[in-house]
Amino acid sequence: MTGQLRNRPVSAFIAEAIAHEMEADERVVVLGEDVGRMGGVFGATRGLQRRFGPWRVRDTPITEMSFTGMAVGLALDGYRPVAEIMFADFIGVCLEQVYNAAAKNRYMSGGTVAMPIVFKTAAGILGSAAQHSQCLWGLFGHLPGLRVVVPSCPYDYKGLMAASIACPDPVVFIEHKQLLTRWARDFRHGAQVPEHRYAEPLGTAAVVRPGADVTIATLGLSVSHALDAAEVLAGEEITAEVIDLRSVVPLDAGTVAASAARTGRLLVVDEDYRSFGLSGELITRVLERLGPGRLAAFARHALPDVPVPAARALEEAVLPSVSSVADAARGLLR
Amino acid sequence: MSVLTALDRFAWMTRIRAFEHACLEGVRSGEIHGELHTAIGQEAIAAGMAGWLRDTDALVSTHRNHAHALIKGVDPRALLAEIFERRTGLCGGYGGHMHPFDPRHRFSASGIVGASLPVALGHAYAARLAGRDDVAVAVTGDGGANHGTFHECLTMASAWGLPLIVVIENNGLAISVEPSAVTPPGTLAGRAVGYGVCGVTVDGTDAEAVSGAFGELVTFARQSPAPSVLEATCARFRGHYEGDVQAYRDPEQDRSGRDPLLIARHALAASGIPDSELDRVEQAAAAEMQALLAQVRADPCPDPADARRHVFAATAPGAQRLAGGTRPVPAAAEPGQAAPGPGRGESGTGGAR
Repeated sequence: MTGQLRNRPVSAFIAEAIAHEMEADERVVVLGEDVGRMGGVFGATRGLQRRFGPWRVRDTPITEMSFTGMAVGLALDGYRPVAEIMFADFIGVCLEQVYNAAAKNRYMSGGTVAMPIVFKTAAGILGSAAQHSQCLWGLFGHLPGLRVVVPSCPYDYKGLMAASIACPDPVVFIEHKQLLTRWARDFRHGAQVPEHRYAEPLGTAAVVRPGADVTIATLGLSVSHALDAAEVLAGEEITAEVIDLRSVVPLDAGTVAASAARTGRLLVVDEDYRSFGLSGELITRVLERLGPGRLAAFARHALPDVPVPAARALEEAVLPSVSSVADAARGLLR
Repeated sequence: MSVLTALDRFAWMTRIRAFEHACLEGVRSGEIHGELHTAIGQEAIAAGMAGWLRDTDALVSTHRNHAHALIKGVDPRALLAEIFERRTGLCGGYGGHMHPFDPRHRFSASGIVGASLPVALGHAYAARLAGRDDVAVAVTGDGGANHGTFHECLTMASAWGLPLIVVIENNGLAISVEPSAVTPPGTLAGRAVGYGVCGVTVDGTDAEAVSGAFGELVTFARQSPAPSVLEATCARFRGHYEGDVQAYRDPEQDRSGRDPLLIARHALAASGIPDSELDRVEQAAAAEMQALLAQVRADPCPDPADARRHVFAATAPGAQRLAGGTRPVPAAAEPGQAAPGPGRGESGTGGAR
C-alpha cells in the first residue's frame, strides 16, 4: 500500500463504508439508538443522518425488541437495514427477532425470502464490567442462520462492513469497543484504508504475521495482542504465525488447519467465554481435519467462565493480554 | 377496494371453517405431526378484514394464522400442503403451519406471541420510505397485547406516523388465562389513547361490524398515515392447540351463541336470503376444501436430503459485486492461505457453516 495514512478512528471508517453503501443502494437504511443525531455512541454512524435524512437514518426509542423486528419487516419488504444494538450485551432484551426471525426466515420460508440485515453491535472490554463488556460471538455462532463477522483492523472494518451490507443473509457485525476508538496509526496491521468503495469477502481468515513455530488464531482486539506478543516472542527466537479469523460464521478452519499443520502447535485466543464457544469449536474442527496425531500441542486462552469484573485489577486477571498470550504460546513450546 | 356483501363474508367464513376442518383431519390421521392452532369460532374477524387489503399491503399474523393467510390471498392449496408437511407446500415443508411466508402477498406469520407487531412495523415503515399508501396489519391476541412489543410498536408508529393497524383478536384466553386475571380494567383498544391513536372495540363474531371498523381504519391509515388499534372480541371454540385437554374450562360448553357462522346465517336469512342459498355456500366451501385435501394428500413429502438447504443464501455473500479488496498479505504466507478467495472454506450444500 502506498500513499498517506488516513489517520482516523476505526468508527469513522465504518461510517464511511455505510455511507458508500447508502449512496450505491437506496434500500440501505440505518436504525438504532443514538445512530442519527449523535452519530452513534462510538461514532460509527456519524454524519449519516445529516447526509441521508431522518427516514434513512432513524433514531429509535429504547425498543430493541421491536426495532430489530422492524428490520425484519423492512428486509421482507426489500430493504437492507443496518440495525445497531448499541452494546452486544443488550442482545439479552432482543434476541427474539434476531434468532427466531432474521436467522430462521430464509429457512422457514423454504428459501423464498432473504434477510439482508446487518446487526452491528459493540462488544469487548472497555472497563465497563459485566453488563457492557461481553463479546458473545460464540452465542451468535451457535445459532444457525446468522453470519458472524469480527474485524480487527481499519481496512477490514470498512471492507467487511461493505460486504455485510451486501450480503443476502443476516450478519452480526461485532465491533470491538477498544478498536472503534483506536486511530489507524496505532494498528500494526491493516492500517491503510482506501478512500474508494471496496468489500472484503466474508468468511475467510487472514494470516497477518507469518511464522514457523506456533500458530496463534484469534480475532478482534486479541489480534493486536497476538501481534504484540509475536513481537515479544521474536526476541526469544520464537516465530509465531498470527491468524486473524475475521469471521466466526463461516469459520475458516481450513486456513487455521493449514497453518497448524506446518507449525505443529495451535493456540486459540478468545476474549469470549471459554466454555461451549469459539475456542473449543475451532480446535475441534482443526483436529477433525488433521486427525488426532498431527499437532504436538494445542491450547486455548479464553475468558474463564466468569462475568467480566469491574475493577482493573480483577479485569486484567481474567482477560487475554499481550503478556498472557505470549505466556500461553511459550507454554506450547515447552 | 371492492366492498364485499354480507353474503360474500359469510362465504369467506365458511371457507375458513372448512379449511380448518380439513386441517383437523390431518391431526387425527397423524399427517400433521406437530401443533395445530385453528381459528374455529374466530372466522368473522378475518372475514371482516377480507376485501380491504391490496396485495401490496402487508399482513403479519400469529400462530393462529390460516384465516388471515386466506383472506390475504395466499393460495389455499399451497397453504394446506404446507400444513400437511408436503414438498408442494407454500414453504416446501420448512415452515409448517405457524410460519407461512408469501412475499408476493406481503404475508407472513410468527409462532412467537407478540412478534408479529415489530415485523408489521417494518412493513409500515417501508411503505412510508417508498412513499406508497399501503398499510401494514399486525394481528395479535389478548395475550399478545400484553407483550412489550405492543407498547414499543405503538410508541414508534405513533411518533413517526406509520400506517400500522394492530388487530387484537381478543378470544378471552391467553392459552388458559383470562384477561380479567392479568390485565387492568377497560378494553384493550382503550390503551390506544395512551399512544394518541385511534382505538376501536367491536364484536368479533359479527363480520359486518369488523368490516365496518377495519375498513375505516385502513382508509384512515392510507390517508393520514397513522396507526390504530382494532380489538375484536370473540370466542375460541377449540383448545389453544389440538390436543389441549382444556383443564382450565369446560370443553363441552355450548358456544353456539357466539358462533359467527350461525350469527351470520341468521342475519342473512332475516334479510331475505333463502336457506337453500346459504346451504349452497356452505356446501361449496366444504367441497372446495375436501377437493384440496385430496390433492394435497397425493402430494410428495419433502426429500430428507434437502433438510440442510436454505440456512444461508446459496450464492456466496454479495461481496463479489464490489471491486475486490486490496488487503495487504504478508510476503511469507503461502499462496491461498492468507487470503482465500470467496466461496472457499466450508460452504457446501449445507450452507456456510
